[in-house]
Amino acid sequence: MSQQESIQLGGSDKSLWGQIKLTIARRTEGRGIALLAIILAIAAFTEPLVFTAYQITLGRIALIGLVALGLTAVILMGQLDLSVASTLAASGVVLASIPDLTLGIIAALATGLLVGAINAFGVAIIGINSFIWTLGMLFFLRGVALVLSDETPVKLTNADAGIAFGQPLIGPLTPRILIFVLVFILIQMFVSRVKMGREFYAVGGNPQAAKDAGIPVKRRIFTGFMISGFVSALAGVINTLERTAADPIAGSTVLLASFAAAIIGGNYLKGGRGSIVGTLIGAAALGVLQVTLTISGVQVPVQQIFIGLVLLIAVTTDPNNLRAVLSSIRSARSSRVKVQEPASEPNKSTAS
Amino acid sequence: MAQAPEEKPEKNSRGTIEWFAENGIFVFTAVLILAAAIFVNGFASLQNITDVFHRAAPIGIVAVGMTFVVISGNYLDLSVVAQVATAAVIMIAVSNEYGYFAAVLAAMLAAIIYAVVNGVAVGYFKANAVIVTLSTTYIGLGLLRLLSGGSIFFGPPDGALAQFGAGKLGPIPYSALVLVLMTVILAFVLNRTNFGFTVRSFGVNERATRLGGTNTGLVIIGAFLVTSLSAMIAGFVLAAFSNTAVSAMSTGYDFQALAAIIVGGTSVFGGKGSVLRTLLGVIFVSVLSNVLVLLNIGFGYQQMALGALIALAVAVDALARRAGKK
Repeated sequence: MSQQESIQLGGSDKSLWGQIKLTIARRTEGRGIALLAIILAIAAFTEPLVFTAYQITLGRIALIGLVALGLTAVILMGQLDLSVASTLAASGVVLASIPDLTLGIIAALATGLLVGAINAFGVAIIGINSFIWTLGMLFFLRGVALVLSDETPVKLTNADAGIAFGQPLIGPLTPRILIFVLVFILIQMFVSRVKMGREFYAVGGNPQAAKDAGIPVKRRIFTGFMISGFVSALAGVINTLERTAADPIAGSTVLLASFAAAIIGGNYLKGGRGSIVGTLIGAAALGVLQVTLTISGVQVPVQQIFIGLVLLIAVTTDPNNLRAVLSSIRSARSSRVKVQEPASEPNKSTAS
Repeated sequence: MAQAPEEKPEKNSRGTIEWFAENGIFVFTAVLILAAAIFVNGFASLQNITDVFHRAAPIGIVAVGMTFVVISGNYLDLSVVAQVATAAVIMIAVSNEYGYFAAVLAAMLAAIIYAVVNGVAVGYFKANAVIVTLSTTYIGLGLLRLLSGGSIFFGPPDGALAQFGAGKLGPIPYSALVLVLMTVILAFVLNRTNFGFTVRSFGVNERATRLGGTNTGLVIIGAFLVTSLSAMIAGFVLAAFSNTAVSAMSTGYDFQALAAIIVGGTSVFGGKGSVLRTLLGVIFVSVLSNVLVLLNIGFGYQQMALGALIALAVAVDALARRAGKK
């Protein structure tokens, strides 16, 4: 009797195991944690240097993860921002071409906000598919970066400040890692504790329902894209300061890695499900993977193949996608059984 | 049965913007060519027009093939960059050793692998086509760089491939004829065959197509296969033209092909568009880049112009679609 009851209640099971099951079902980070565990295990066996040189590993995670954090805000709303790579490059060039450092940083970050606003304008106001619109922006901004830089890397005027920026600030932690942690905490608090941020999930889950519930959907889309633009610009500023030069075609690998991090982290591309913690886990997995491969002396093309494969596996093994595959197999089987005759007939008549 | 029903509701209230989205490209192409012929020095020369054809051919062949993926409602195939380079490198590297037949077979095998990986991930796993093809681009380019060692391959200067690449029929290079031939074949496939009909109906309404008893996964693989085989032929044409092949030779092809498709009036929302329109878009984009080059405008500005062009074209498409709904 009691056994039956607990089965019937299912989700509202109060026992510890039931609670754990419910939590697991709700969370979206499962695949990210699994991948991270596998990669950490492999790294621990083959290249323990990954952990002893944790400064490098953390720096790499911050490099991949920062853009991915901003991207996650957009993905939660069911949109994509492909322009992040060029935003990074363009804002870096803006920073390097302005002699005054403070002014340059402000201008670079403003560039990011402007790009985010333009992206959101196309998506929310004109109503263009965000994949295509931001792809257009990706190339447009690459053009802008090339024009501003005269198609060559631009040296930072104040190179000393850049060199100082690359030095550890607190303990072994460089400003890049600290900024990454700060941005992570801010965006995590924003989407989980602030009403505006929580509304991102509603917009992604069902835009019409969100609109009917009184959420200003268009304004949220602006907020999301501007977060993404700002964070990409921040990454561009950090890169430029650390390298003391801005490369107008930087960021092509960032595009792949940041998407991979967000998607491995369990952020559902159609929106509404996912978490910033997931993105952090995804970035950690990729960062450790990259550092392990680099330390093992693996060639760059092979690293490219590895990350491409991880992204391909991540995007195809999304639980929602797998469910769609299973249901389509099931429905194909059942429809074949039920309507065998009528289903095969139109095929015959059309196949000429 | 398999013929396309031209959906044209008899309404007089069709807005200017809709008309613009439908027919703007005809006007723009005509105006651009006229203006270029009158105002741009050196545009109307025979040498320059041959040059435009030469550059338009490989991008155009990619674009007419990729039209299938766009019409099926799957946005685009970014991996054509890797596919064109793969086909070109295989063509020259393999034919130097084992002859042209083996090279074509190997390239075809590569194209089929690309199409199956992209098509299965998008068609059966319902994964986002942009992300899937982004990852296959990197995997493909990584493999190509690894296997080719990043080196440049040269064909024999008097080989059949080089002769084809330099061959001309009057002012028109053979490569442009291949483009025309591909356009005719693919237009036929899209408009007159059962497969083409299914691709278009899938773009209009995926669910209805599936419920109508079509194996939609196979249709998607088919659309990607058309794109991959076109990219392969584009790779051959590109290899023939320069008689060299290197893994980085097709950078930007994804974007230029997409620009041509969208500017031609094929909707990124799927279902609406045609191969002939893509050809028109190819002419427009090629003439535009040629004019920019002739006017001595830098590469950065060209990228900006192309990006702005895509943004403008999709904006007009989106506005027209919204006007049509009202």
